[in-house]
Amino acid sequence: MKKLRQTKRCDIKVALAGNPNCGKTTLFNALTGATAHVGNWTGVTVEKLEGTYKDRKSDLRIDIVDLPGIYSLSPYSPEEVVSRDYILSQDADVILNIIDATNLQRNLYLTTQLLEIGIPIVVALNMSDCLSANGERIDVELLSKKLGAPVVAISALKQKGLKELMLKIKEQKGVERKAFSCISSGILKESVEGIASLLQDSEHKLFDTVKLVEGDKLMEQKYISLSNKIKEIKDNNQEVASRYKGDFETCVADRRYQYINDNFGDIITYDKEKPALSKSDKADRALTHKFWGIPIFLMIIFAIFHLTFSENLFYLSAVIPDGAFKDVDKFSSLFVDSEYEEDEDGNITGANSIKSPGVFLQGLVEELGELIKGERVVEDTVDDNGESVAEVIEEGGIVTRWLKDAPDWANGVICDGILAGVFGVLSFIPQIMLLFLFLTILEDTGYMARVAFIMDRAFRKIGLSGKSFMPLLMCFGCAVPGIMATRTIENDRERRSTILLAPFFSCGAKSPIWYAFAAVLTGVAGWNSELTVFGMYVIGIVVAMIAALIIKKISGQKGVTPFIMELPAYHTPQFKSVTLHIWQKLKHFVFRAGTVIAASTIIIWYLLNFNFKFQMVGEDNSILAIVGGWFEWLFKPLGFGDWKYIVAAVTGLIAKEEVVSSIEVLSGSVEAFVSTSGISTAGVVSFMAFNLLTVPCMAAVGAASGELGSSKRTALAVLFWILTSYTVSMIIYLVGTYWWTIFIFAAAIAGVITAAHFINKKRFEKKEATNV
Amino acid sequence: MKLLNSPIGKQKVIVQVTADEKTKNRLNNIGIIIGGKITPLQSNFGDLIVKVRECRVAINKDVAKHIIVEDGNEEITTDQTV
Repeated sequence: MKKLRQTKRCDIKVALAGNPNCGKTTLFNALTGATAHVGNWTGVTVEKLEGTYKDRKSDLRIDIVDLPGIYSLSPYSPEEVVSRDYILSQDADVILNIIDATNLQRNLYLTTQLLEIGIPIVVALNMSDCLSANGERIDVELLSKKLGAPVVAISALKQKGLKELMLKIKEQKGVERKAFSCISSGILKESVEGIASLLQDSEHKLFDTVKLVEGDKLMEQKYISLSNKIKEIKDNNQEVASRYKGDFETCVADRRYQYINDNFGDIITYDKEKPALSKSDKADRALTHKFWGIPIFLMIIFAIFHLTFSENLFYLSAVIPDGAFKDVDKFSSLFVDSEYEEDEDGNITGANSIKSPGVFLQGLVEELGELIKGERVVEDTVDDNGESVAEVIEEGGIVTRWLKDAPDWANGVICDGILAGVFGVLSFIPQIMLLFLFLTILEDTGYMARVAFIMDRAFRKIGLSGKSFMPLLMCFGCAVPGIMATRTIENDRERRSTILLAPFFSCGAKSPIWYAFAAVLTGVAGWNSELTVFGMYVIGIVVAMIAALIIKKISGQKGVTPFIMELPAYHTPQFKSVTLHIWQKLKHFVFRAGTVIAASTIIIWYLLNFNFKFQMVGEDNSILAIVGGWFEWLFKPLGFGDWKYIVAAVTGLIAKEEVVSSIEVLSGSVEAFVSTSGISTAGVVSFMAFNLLTVPCMAAVGAASGELGSSKRTALAVLFWILTSYTVSMIIYLVGTYWWTIFIFAAAIAGVITAAHFINKKRFEKKEATNV
Repeated sequence: MKLLNSPIGKQKVIVQVTADEKTKNRLNNIGIIIGGKITPLQSNFGDLIVKVRECRVAINKDVAKHIIVEDGNEEITTDQTV
């Protein structure tokens, strides 16, 4: 089937170019629907989207390559370089330039640059329907005449004018279009002509010329042999020297806007006066307010996490009497909490809360998993000597029944290995997807851009910009999408440090560890379990802040990339784009669960059940137990030098929820695990912190390696996570055991930061000295 | 006057951008250019939301410091057509 599709090649390929926020993604989704697939541009971490437009009636098929959203074709960002290289390669037959009618002049700035490349262009005037609603009109024919390229008015959102647009593209294929530059007249005329006369005739001569006039670094490299002559020509331009202080780049930009003003100023006519402040501006007054902005945001985020993770929706247990749901059937218990505790006097507590949608969905998937693989139920029973013993009762599912007569190892590898691992991951998908849904909606409304703005000031203090905020926030759900979202950060150093910090933000899969151990700590040390769990999140954030500060000092970079970000007008999220986005993420996760995680669970299962002689043995004599034993000394200073802890932490590499499940495999229950190992409270907290801060799951490491772009950097990142978790756990254990050591560590951390600061200061002074 | 100190809600004309090349290019791309009109809409301890043509742009304090503006009444040299 797939092969058939590939052989039927489309004869037209079009590149979709336009500003960010101009409706490009909406148009791409509307045109390609489910045919879209995500890739990467070679060599850079810029997303590449490809899809096919199909019209059944006319048998029209057009391949569409979505270029990244850009404002210009300058050489400063990877997005811009990728776009211009792709267009110049002439892989696409036609450029489809989408422009936002409500922001015409700024959008035409890119158009004037695209026109400098001699490839057919079709302009899609998007959101033209919004204009008439505002009492504005654009003369489409006049616009087309002035641009010298066909213009089609469309509405990507309402899917209007799309077929006409596609037919126009078909018509334009192979039509010769002469490159045109708006700067080749006026004060730059002589410079353009002079430089053009130096170049040999080539395909993109005009584009190259204009870029050389601009002083484009990449283009200057290409024509390095001509650099002296080009400089001479440019120096001869007295007007640029006097009016722009010889700044050709600003001069060219100014000329472009001037040209747009002069030629397209009268394209839009207004029926009525526009209000000075739009509705969007008024909303911003509150949402980005210098005092209220952050509290409002925190409330929104709290609501989202509440709907996703809360076992007690809207805290309704305050009004529902205890025990209200204690006798509900199995189906209803998906929606409400039916677990309760009864004390000696027969008073019932619990069973009176309603589950949030996220918890409900998670329960649903877990039920499904039990149905298929069966469940291992662990119950505490009291034996003849009056000691409590954990007893494992197997309950059959479809697969366990089916495997009833199969040998032990087959049963083990399928049920305890593959299915346990895969369903462990699958059961977290509903919550992660729900979290995504909410965050995607926030992104789609335009609110996330504002959040980056209000958070920028705080982030700047630790060497990051507001753009790091969104990715890190996503990491509370799952580090994989969080790490992938770092692509929006332009500065390499900031992007890499954001990736390094990602695992410190406790993800959804780690929360079972906190809940399980918090319950134990309540029993052992009388700690409030909610506070313990909350404390883990706080430890993560604090460590991330300190780590960011240390990275900032070590890298020695002064200042953070300036924050310049367009704030799109608020609008209602679009169902189609939100669902498409979620669908793509979901596919990714399910794929992961089915491949990497399934494979690694088999390996871990094998290592946990076999010895070096390929004999099936108990866990105590398994390869993992033996190898784990070798490393016990290494974890002694951390307070948990016991091979079982080490094995549990190592299995967390597959997926963090494995930590708890392997503890259950090893000792029956977390309580038994802690009590039999004889580890102190400080040791338990240290173990929790270690799991929080250490190398994240393989899926996240894979994502990080993809974004970091080299195996050397990935290795350094892994080393960084190991070092951080080791150090912090050691601090926690030692301070928890001997409180006075806190002074030593505080002094050491302060020392590291100051030392890094001074070393770098010297390094810079040296650099400056050599420069002079 | 620096845009940073310019009053909220008053339209100004940009006369100079003193930022480094890369920042200047990004400002140009987004429509913040010498001779263009700019209106600060909101200030958040110096971080600004400004109106440029029909779009809203967020810039931080350091950038706002590097944009020099004047009252928009008089024509400035670069605004004339050649």
